[in-house]
Amino acid sequence: MEFTLLWAVLTAAALGRLAIWRTKPPPETGDILVGSATTGLVVGRLAAMIGDGVNPLTNPADIIIIRAGVDTGFATLAALLMLARLSRLDGKLLDQAAPVALAALAGWHGGCLWRSTCLGAASDLPWAYPQAGSSIDRHPVELYAALLFIGGAWLVRHPIRSPGVAAGLALSLAAAIRLSTQPLRPSLTGGPVGWYVAGLFAGLVWAGFSTRSRPGERSEGDPDPAAGAVPDLDPSAARFDDSLGDGQTEPGPSPGT
Amino acid sequence: MTRPTLHLLALVLLLAACGGSQPTSTASIPEIGPEALESRILEAGRPAVVNIWASWCIPCRSEAPLLAQAYTAYADRIDFIGVAVQDRSPTAAGFIEEFAIPYENYLDENASVRAAMGGTGVPITYFISSDGTIVRTHIGVIDEQQLALQLDELVARS
Repeated sequence: MEFTLLWAVLTAAALGRLAIWRTKPPPETGDILVGSATTGLVVGRLAAMIGDGVNPLTNPADIIIIRAGVDTGFATLAALLMLARLSRLDGKLLDQAAPVALAALAGWHGGCLWRSTCLGAASDLPWAYPQAGSSIDRHPVELYAALLFIGGAWLVRHPIRSPGVAAGLALSLAAAIRLSTQPLRPSLTGGPVGWYVAGLFAGLVWAGFSTRSRPGERSEGDPDPAAGAVPDLDPSAARFDDSLGDGQTEPGPSPGT
Repeated sequence: MTRPTLHLLALVLLLAACGGSQPTSTASIPEIGPEALESRILEAGRPAVVNIWASWCIPCRSEAPLLAQAYTAYADRIDFIGVAVQDRSPTAAGFIEEFAIPYENYLDENASVRAAMGGTGVPITYFISSDGTIVRTHIGVIDEQQLALQLDELVARS
Protein backbone atom coordinates (compact mmCIF):
# COMPACT_ATOMS: atom_id res chain seq x y z
CA MET A 1 0.00 0.00 0.00
CA GLU A 2 1.28 3.33 -0.97
CA PHE A 3 0.55 5.17 2.20
CA THR A 4 3.03 7.28 3.97
CA LEU A 5 5.17 5.68 6.59
CA LEU A 6 5.94 9.19 7.76
CA TRP A 7 2.32 9.76 8.79
CA ALA A 8 2.33 6.47 10.70
CA VAL A 9 5.53 7.35 12.52
CA LEU A 10 4.37 10.86 13.35
CA THR A 11 1.02 9.63 14.67
CA ALA A 12 2.63 6.86 16.68
CA ALA A 13 5.22 9.23 18.08
CA ALA A 14 2.60 11.80 19.05
CA LEU A 15 0.31 9.21 20.63
CA GLY A 16 3.22 7.41 22.20
CA ARG A 17 4.45 10.65 23.69
CA LEU A 18 0.97 11.32 25.04
CA ALA A 19 0.77 7.81 26.52
CA ILE A 20 4.15 8.20 28.15
CA TRP A 21 3.13 11.55 29.57
CA ARG A 22 -0.09 10.09 30.97
CA THR A 23 1.05 6.77 32.35
CA LYS A 24 4.79 7.00 32.91
CA PRO A 25 5.89 3.61 31.62
CA PRO A 26 9.41 2.27 32.16
CA PRO A 27 12.02 4.30 30.32
CA GLU A 28 12.84 1.44 27.95
CA THR A 29 9.29 1.36 26.55
CA GLY A 30 10.12 3.65 23.65
CA ASP A 31 13.18 1.57 22.77
CA ILE A 32 11.09 -1.59 22.81
CA LEU A 33 8.47 -0.14 20.48
CA VAL A 34 11.00 1.37 18.08
CA GLY A 35 13.08 -1.83 18.16
CA SER A 36 10.04 -3.96 17.36
CA ALA A 37 8.93 -1.70 14.52
CA THR A 38 12.43 -1.61 13.05
CA THR A 39 12.73 -5.38 13.25
CA GLY A 40 9.42 -5.73 11.46
CA LEU A 41 10.54 -3.35 8.74
CA VAL A 42 13.83 -5.18 8.17
CA VAL A 43 12.27 -8.66 8.19
CA GLY A 44 9.45 -7.51 5.92
CA ARG A 45 11.96 -6.03 3.49
CA LEU A 46 14.08 -9.21 3.56
CA ALA A 47 10.98 -11.34 2.95
CA ALA A 48 10.02 -9.14 0.00
CA MET A 49 13.55 -9.35 -1.44
CA ILE A 50 13.59 -13.14 -1.19
CA GLY A 51 10.12 -13.26 -2.70
CA ASP A 52 11.32 -11.12 -5.60
CA GLY A 53 14.32 -13.37 -6.17
CA VAL A 54 16.89 -10.92 -4.83
CA ASN A 55 19.57 -12.51 -2.62
CA PRO A 56 19.97 -10.21 0.42
CA LEU A 57 23.50 -11.50 1.00
CA THR A 58 24.75 -10.63 -2.45
CA ASN A 59 22.73 -7.42 -2.61
CA PRO A 60 22.91 -6.10 0.97
CA ALA A 61 22.52 -2.47 -0.05
CA ASP A 62 19.11 -3.25 -1.52
CA ILE A 63 17.73 -3.84 1.96
CA ILE A 64 17.49 -0.09 2.48
CA ILE A 65 15.44 0.39 -0.70
CA ILE A 66 12.20 0.21 1.24
CA ARG A 67 10.22 1.51 -1.73
CA ALA A 68 11.04 -1.70 -3.58
CA GLY A 69 8.60 -3.48 -1.31
CA VAL A 70 8.02 -4.74 2.22
CA ASP A 71 6.12 -7.94 2.92
CA THR A 72 3.62 -6.61 5.43
CA GLY A 73 2.59 -10.06 6.65
CA PHE A 74 6.09 -11.09 7.69
CA ALA A 75 6.81 -7.55 8.88
CA THR A 76 3.84 -7.61 11.25
CA LEU A 77 4.68 -11.10 12.46
CA ALA A 78 8.30 -10.17 13.13
CA ALA A 79 7.36 -6.94 14.88
CA LEU A 80 4.90 -8.74 17.14
CA LEU A 81 7.38 -11.50 17.98
CA MET A 82 10.08 -8.96 18.77
CA LEU A 83 7.65 -6.96 20.86
CA ALA A 84 6.72 -10.11 22.77
CA ARG A 85 10.37 -10.97 23.33
CA LEU A 86 11.54 -7.50 24.35
CA SER A 87 8.54 -6.87 26.58
CA ARG A 88 8.79 -10.35 28.10
CA LEU A 89 5.05 -10.56 27.42
CA ASP A 90 4.45 -7.83 29.95
CA GLY A 91 0.71 -7.36 29.58
CA LYS A 92 0.77 -3.85 30.98
CA LEU A 93 3.37 -2.68 28.49
CA LEU A 94 1.61 -4.40 25.60
CA ASP A 95 -1.68 -2.80 26.64
CA GLN A 96 -0.03 0.57 26.60
CA ALA A 97 1.42 -0.03 23.16
CA ALA A 98 -1.91 -1.20 21.75
CA PRO A 99 -3.68 2.15 21.25
CA VAL A 100 -0.46 3.71 19.99
CA ALA A 101 -0.08 0.97 17.38
CA LEU A 102 -3.69 1.32 16.23
CA ALA A 103 -3.31 5.08 16.03
CA ALA A 104 -0.16 4.60 13.97
CA LEU A 105 -2.12 2.39 11.58
CA ALA A 106 -4.76 5.11 11.37
CA GLY A 107 -2.04 7.58 10.47
CA TRP A 108 -0.63 5.16 7.92
CA HIS A 109 -3.99 4.75 6.18
CA GLY A 110 -4.88 8.44 6.52
CA GLY A 111 -1.59 9.20 4.79
CA CYS A 112 -3.33 8.12 1.58
CA LEU A 113 -4.54 11.71 1.32
CA TRP A 114 -0.94 12.73 0.83
CA ARG A 115 -0.50 10.46 -2.19
CA SER A 116 -4.08 10.44 -3.49
CA THR A 117 -4.39 6.70 -2.95
CA CYS A 118 -7.49 6.59 -0.76
CA LEU A 119 -9.97 5.30 -3.31
CA GLY A 120 -11.34 1.82 -3.76
CA ALA A 121 -14.36 0.24 -5.38
CA ALA A 122 -16.85 2.29 -7.38
CA SER A 123 -19.78 3.63 -5.38
CA ASP A 124 -22.78 5.92 -5.74
CA LEU A 125 -22.85 6.87 -2.08
CA PRO A 126 -22.97 10.64 -1.51
CA TRP A 127 -19.52 10.86 0.01
CA ALA A 128 -17.84 8.85 -2.74
CA TYR A 129 -15.62 10.89 -5.02
CA PRO A 130 -13.60 10.34 -8.20
CA GLN A 131 -9.87 10.45 -8.68
CA ALA A 132 -8.48 13.32 -10.67
CA GLY A 133 -9.51 13.17 -14.31
CA SER A 134 -12.11 10.48 -13.77
CA SER A 135 -15.90 10.50 -13.60
CA ILE A 136 -16.22 7.35 -11.50
CA ASP A 137 -17.07 7.98 -7.85
CA ARG A 138 -15.31 5.61 -5.50
CA HIS A 139 -15.31 4.62 -1.86
CA PRO A 140 -12.57 6.41 0.10
CA VAL A 141 -11.82 3.01 1.56
CA GLU A 142 -8.54 3.94 3.22
CA LEU A 143 -10.23 6.79 5.05
CA TYR A 144 -12.82 4.30 6.30
CA ALA A 145 -9.96 2.17 7.58
CA ALA A 146 -8.29 5.18 9.20
CA LEU A 147 -11.49 6.12 11.02
CA LEU A 148 -12.02 2.55 12.18
CA PHE A 149 -8.45 2.42 13.47
CA ILE A 150 -9.04 5.63 15.41
CA GLY A 151 -12.16 4.05 16.92
CA GLY A 152 -10.18 0.91 17.73
CA ALA A 153 -7.48 2.95 19.45
CA TRP A 154 -10.16 4.67 21.50
CA LEU A 155 -11.68 1.32 22.52
CA VAL A 156 -8.42 -0.08 23.85
CA ARG A 157 -7.16 3.15 25.34
CA HIS A 158 -7.53 1.65 28.81
CA PRO A 159 -6.49 -1.78 30.07
CA ILE A 160 -9.38 -4.24 30.00
CA ARG A 161 -9.97 -6.76 32.80
CA SER A 162 -6.41 -8.01 33.13
CA PRO A 163 -3.06 -7.11 31.57
CA GLY A 164 -2.69 -8.25 27.97
CA VAL A 165 -6.38 -8.38 27.11
CA ALA A 166 -6.42 -4.94 25.52
CA ALA A 167 -3.34 -5.82 23.46
CA GLY A 168 -4.93 -9.03 22.22
CA LEU A 169 -8.13 -7.24 21.32
CA ALA A 170 -6.14 -4.55 19.55
CA LEU A 171 -4.49 -7.16 17.35
CA SER A 172 -7.90 -8.66 16.56
CA LEU A 173 -9.33 -5.23 15.85
CA ALA A 174 -6.52 -4.38 13.46
CA ALA A 175 -7.01 -7.63 11.58
CA ALA A 176 -10.81 -7.23 11.57
CA ILE A 177 -10.60 -3.68 10.22
CA ARG A 178 -8.33 -4.73 7.38
CA LEU A 179 -10.49 -7.76 6.70
CA SER A 180 -13.75 -5.83 6.67
CA THR A 181 -12.45 -3.11 4.34
CA GLN A 182 -10.67 -5.50 1.97
CA PRO A 183 -13.73 -6.10 -0.27
CA LEU A 184 -13.75 -2.38 -1.08
CA ARG A 185 -10.14 -2.46 -2.31
CA PRO A 186 -9.51 -3.14 -5.99
CA SER A 187 -7.37 -6.24 -6.14
CA LEU A 188 -5.93 -8.79 -8.52
CA THR A 189 -5.44 -11.51 -5.92
CA GLY A 190 -8.06 -10.85 -3.25
CA GLY A 191 -5.51 -9.48 -0.79
CA PRO A 192 -3.76 -11.11 2.16
CA VAL A 193 -6.98 -12.37 3.72
CA GLY A 194 -5.22 -15.34 5.29
CA TRP A 195 -2.94 -13.04 7.30
CA TYR A 196 -5.94 -11.03 8.49
CA VAL A 197 -7.84 -14.11 9.63
CA ALA A 198 -4.74 -15.43 11.39
CA GLY A 199 -4.27 -12.08 13.14
CA LEU A 200 -7.91 -11.95 14.15
CA PHE A 201 -7.78 -15.33 15.84
CA ALA A 202 -4.31 -14.85 17.30
CA GLY A 203 -5.47 -11.67 19.02
CA LEU A 204 -8.57 -13.35 20.41
CA VAL A 205 -6.52 -16.31 21.66
CA TRP A 206 -4.04 -13.96 23.31
CA ALA A 207 -6.84 -11.94 24.92
CA GLY A 208 -8.49 -15.12 26.19
CA PHE A 209 -5.19 -16.44 27.46
CA SER A 210 -4.51 -13.18 29.27
CA THR A 211 -7.95 -13.25 30.89
CA ARG A 212 -7.70 -16.84 32.05
CA SER A 213 -4.08 -17.01 33.10
CA ARG A 214 -4.11 -13.95 35.30
CA PRO A 215 -7.65 -13.54 36.47
CA GLY A 216 -6.89 -11.52 39.56
CA GLU A 217 -3.94 -9.53 38.34
CA ARG A 218 -4.75 -5.90 37.93
CA SER A 219 -2.51 -2.98 38.36
CA GLU A 220 -3.43 -0.09 40.54
CA GLY A 221 -5.83 2.21 38.76
CA ASP A 222 -6.97 -0.45 36.30
CA PRO A 223 -10.71 -0.80 35.91
CA ASP A 224 -12.55 -3.16 38.18
CA PRO A 225 -14.35 -5.67 35.96
CA ALA A 226 -16.95 -6.20 38.64
CA ALA A 227 -17.81 -2.53 38.54
CA GLY A 228 -18.40 -2.74 34.79
CA ALA A 229 -17.15 0.79 34.24
CA VAL A 230 -13.94 2.18 32.85
CA PRO A 231 -12.57 5.11 34.76
CA ASP A 232 -10.94 8.00 32.98
CA LEU A 233 -7.21 8.03 32.86
CA ASP A 234 -5.70 10.17 35.51
CA PRO A 235 -2.59 11.93 34.24
CA SER A 236 -1.00 11.47 37.60
CA ALA A 237 -1.71 7.75 37.77
CA ALA A 238 1.35 5.56 37.48
CA ARG A 239 0.44 2.29 35.81
CA PHE A 240 3.98 1.09 35.75
CA ASP A 241 4.39 1.61 39.44
CA ASP A 242 6.49 -1.56 39.68
CA SER A 243 9.26 0.17 37.83
CA LEU A 244 9.39 2.89 40.41
CA GLY A 245 10.14 0.42 43.17
CA ASP A 246 8.38 -0.66 46.32
CA GLY A 247 4.99 0.45 45.16
CA GLN A 248 6.02 4.09 45.17
CA THR A 249 4.39 6.21 42.59
CA GLU A 250 5.61 9.31 40.99
CA PRO A 251 3.11 11.99 40.06
CA GLY A 252 2.92 12.84 36.40
CA PRO A 253 3.57 16.29 35.10
CA SER A 254 0.73 18.71 35.16
CA PRO A 255 -0.88 19.60 31.86
CA GLY A 256 0.79 22.94 31.99
CA THR A 257 4.31 21.61 32.14
CA MET B 1 36.90 -14.72 17.01
CA THR B 2 34.68 -17.33 18.64
CA ARG B 3 33.69 -20.56 16.96
CA PRO B 4 29.99 -19.64 16.59
CA THR B 5 30.99 -16.38 14.96
CA LEU B 6 33.25 -18.24 12.54
CA HIS B 7 30.47 -20.67 11.73
CA LEU B 8 28.08 -17.82 11.12
CA LEU B 9 30.59 -16.06 8.89
CA ALA B 10 31.18 -19.26 6.93
CA LEU B 11 27.44 -19.72 6.49
CA VAL B 12 27.04 -16.16 5.24
CA LEU B 13 29.88 -16.59 2.74
CA LEU B 14 28.40 -19.87 1.59
CA LEU B 15 24.99 -18.34 1.05
CA ALA B 16 26.52 -15.33 -0.64
CA ALA B 17 28.27 -17.65 -3.05
CA CYS B 18 24.87 -19.06 -4.00
CA GLY B 19 23.82 -15.72 -5.40
CA GLY B 20 24.09 -15.70 -9.15
CA SER B 21 24.99 -12.81 -11.36
CA GLN B 22 22.39 -10.93 -13.33
CA PRO B 23 20.76 -13.42 -15.74
CA THR B 24 21.32 -12.88 -19.41
CA SER B 25 19.74 -14.24 -22.54
CA THR B 26 20.68 -14.52 -26.17
CA ALA B 27 17.15 -13.50 -27.18
CA SER B 28 17.01 -10.07 -28.76
CA ILE B 29 14.55 -7.35 -27.89
CA PRO B 30 13.34 -4.98 -30.61
CA GLU B 31 14.15 -1.34 -30.14
CA ILE B 32 11.47 1.32 -30.02
CA GLY B 33 11.20 5.09 -29.89
CA PRO B 34 8.38 7.43 -28.83
CA GLU B 35 6.84 7.79 -32.31
CA ALA B 36 6.79 4.06 -32.96
CA LEU B 37 5.28 3.40 -29.56
CA GLU B 38 2.54 5.96 -30.12
CA SER B 39 1.73 4.43 -33.51
CA ARG B 40 1.65 0.98 -31.95
CA ILE B 41 -0.90 2.11 -29.33
CA LEU B 42 -3.10 4.05 -31.74
CA GLU B 43 -3.17 1.24 -34.28
CA ALA B 44 -4.34 -1.21 -31.65
CA GLY B 45 -7.18 1.11 -30.70
CA ARG B 46 -7.28 -0.19 -27.15
CA PRO B 47 -6.23 1.25 -23.82
CA ALA B 48 -2.64 0.44 -22.92
CA VAL B 49 -0.36 0.15 -19.94
CA VAL B 50 3.24 1.06 -20.67
CA ASN B 51 5.73 0.03 -18.03
CA ILE B 52 9.18 1.58 -18.08
CA TRP B 53 11.69 -0.73 -16.43
CA ALA B 54 15.32 -1.83 -16.36
CA SER B 55 16.96 -5.11 -15.49
CA TRP B 56 19.27 -3.38 -12.99
CA CYS B 57 16.34 -1.76 -11.19
CA ILE B 58 15.63 -3.55 -7.91
CA PRO B 59 12.14 -2.07 -7.41
CA CYS B 60 11.23 -3.24 -10.92
CA ARG B 61 11.66 -6.81 -9.73
CA SER B 62 8.90 -6.44 -7.18
CA GLU B 63 6.33 -5.23 -9.68
CA ALA B 64 7.24 -7.50 -12.60
CA PRO B 65 5.25 -10.51 -11.28
CA LEU B 66 2.31 -8.22 -10.50
CA LEU B 67 2.24 -6.79 -14.02
CA ALA B 68 2.44 -10.28 -15.47
CA GLN B 69 -0.52 -11.25 -13.31
CA ALA B 70 -2.45 -8.16 -14.39
CA TYR B 71 -1.77 -8.99 -18.03
CA THR B 72 -3.30 -12.43 -17.51
CA ALA B 73 -6.44 -10.84 -16.08
CA TYR B 74 -6.81 -7.93 -18.53
CA ALA B 75 -5.15 -9.09 -21.75
CA ASP B 76 -8.48 -9.18 -23.57
CA ARG B 77 -9.24 -5.54 -22.77
CA ILE B 78 -5.94 -3.72 -22.30
CA ASP B 79 -2.57 -3.85 -24.09
CA PHE B 80 0.49 -4.21 -21.90
CA ILE B 81 3.81 -2.97 -23.22
CA GLY B 82 7.13 -3.01 -21.43
CA VAL B 83 10.00 -0.71 -22.34
CA ALA B 84 13.45 -1.42 -20.93
CA VAL B 85 15.39 1.81 -20.67
CA GLN B 86 19.11 2.42 -20.20
CA ASP B 87 19.63 -1.30 -20.49
CA ARG B 88 21.33 -3.83 -22.73
CA SER B 89 19.54 -6.46 -24.72
CA PRO B 90 21.08 -9.58 -23.07
CA THR B 91 20.33 -8.50 -19.50
CA ALA B 92 16.90 -7.13 -20.38
CA ALA B 93 16.04 -10.38 -22.14
CA GLY B 94 17.32 -12.28 -19.11
CA PHE B 95 14.98 -10.27 -16.90
CA ILE B 96 12.03 -11.06 -19.17
CA GLU B 97 12.86 -14.75 -19.09
CA GLU B 98 13.42 -14.77 -15.33
CA PHE B 99 9.98 -13.35 -14.59
CA ALA B 100 8.29 -15.02 -17.54
CA ILE B 101 6.84 -11.68 -18.62
CA PRO B 102 4.12 -12.61 -21.10
CA TYR B 103 3.51 -9.26 -22.82
CA GLU B 104 5.57 -7.54 -25.49
CA ASN B 105 8.70 -5.68 -24.48
CA TYR B 106 10.98 -3.27 -26.25
CA LEU B 107 14.40 -1.78 -25.68
CA ASP B 108 15.02 1.96 -25.47
CA GLU B 109 18.68 2.36 -24.56
CA ASN B 110 18.71 6.14 -24.41
CA ALA B 111 15.32 6.39 -22.64
CA SER B 112 13.78 8.54 -25.37
CA VAL B 113 10.33 7.05 -24.70
CA ARG B 114 10.48 8.08 -21.07
CA ALA B 115 11.72 11.55 -22.02
CA ALA B 116 8.78 11.96 -24.42
CA MET B 117 6.13 10.66 -22.02
CA GLY B 118 7.41 12.46 -18.93
CA GLY B 119 8.90 11.25 -15.69
CA THR B 120 12.26 10.34 -14.28
CA GLY B 121 13.79 7.15 -12.95
CA VAL B 122 12.45 3.62 -13.10
CA PRO B 123 9.97 2.09 -12.78
CA ILE B 124 7.24 4.24 -14.28
CA THR B 125 3.84 3.00 -15.36
CA TYR B 126 1.69 4.97 -17.81
CA PHE B 127 -2.01 4.31 -18.23
CA ILE B 128 -3.05 5.34 -21.71
CA SER B 129 -6.55 5.56 -23.15
CA SER B 130 -7.39 4.17 -26.57
CA ASP B 131 -7.01 7.63 -28.15
CA GLY B 132 -3.41 7.81 -26.97
CA THR B 133 -3.96 10.16 -24.03
CA ILE B 134 -1.90 9.49 -20.93
CA VAL B 135 -4.56 9.44 -18.22
CA ARG B 136 -2.33 8.51 -15.32
CA THR B 137 1.40 8.34 -14.68
CA HIS B 138 2.59 6.32 -11.73
CA ILE B 139 6.20 6.99 -10.83
CA GLY B 140 7.83 4.31 -8.70
CA VAL B 141 6.75 0.83 -7.77
CA ILE B 142 3.04 0.32 -8.24
CA ASP B 143 1.23 -1.85 -5.76
CA GLU B 144 -1.57 -4.28 -6.43
CA GLN B 145 -4.33 -2.00 -5.20
CA GLN B 146 -3.29 0.97 -7.33
CA LEU B 147 -2.68 -1.19 -10.37
CA ALA B 148 -6.11 -2.81 -10.07
CA LEU B 149 -7.74 0.58 -9.56
CA GLN B 150 -6.10 2.18 -12.60
CA LEU B 151 -6.86 -0.83 -14.79
CA ASP B 152 -10.48 -0.61 -13.70
CA GLU B 153 -10.50 3.07 -14.64
CA LEU B 154 -9.00 2.32 -18.05
CA VAL B 155 -11.59 -0.33 -18.78
CA ALA B 156 -14.40 2.00 -17.67
CA ARG B 157 -13.12 4.74 -20.01
CA SER B 158 -12.99 2.50 -23.06
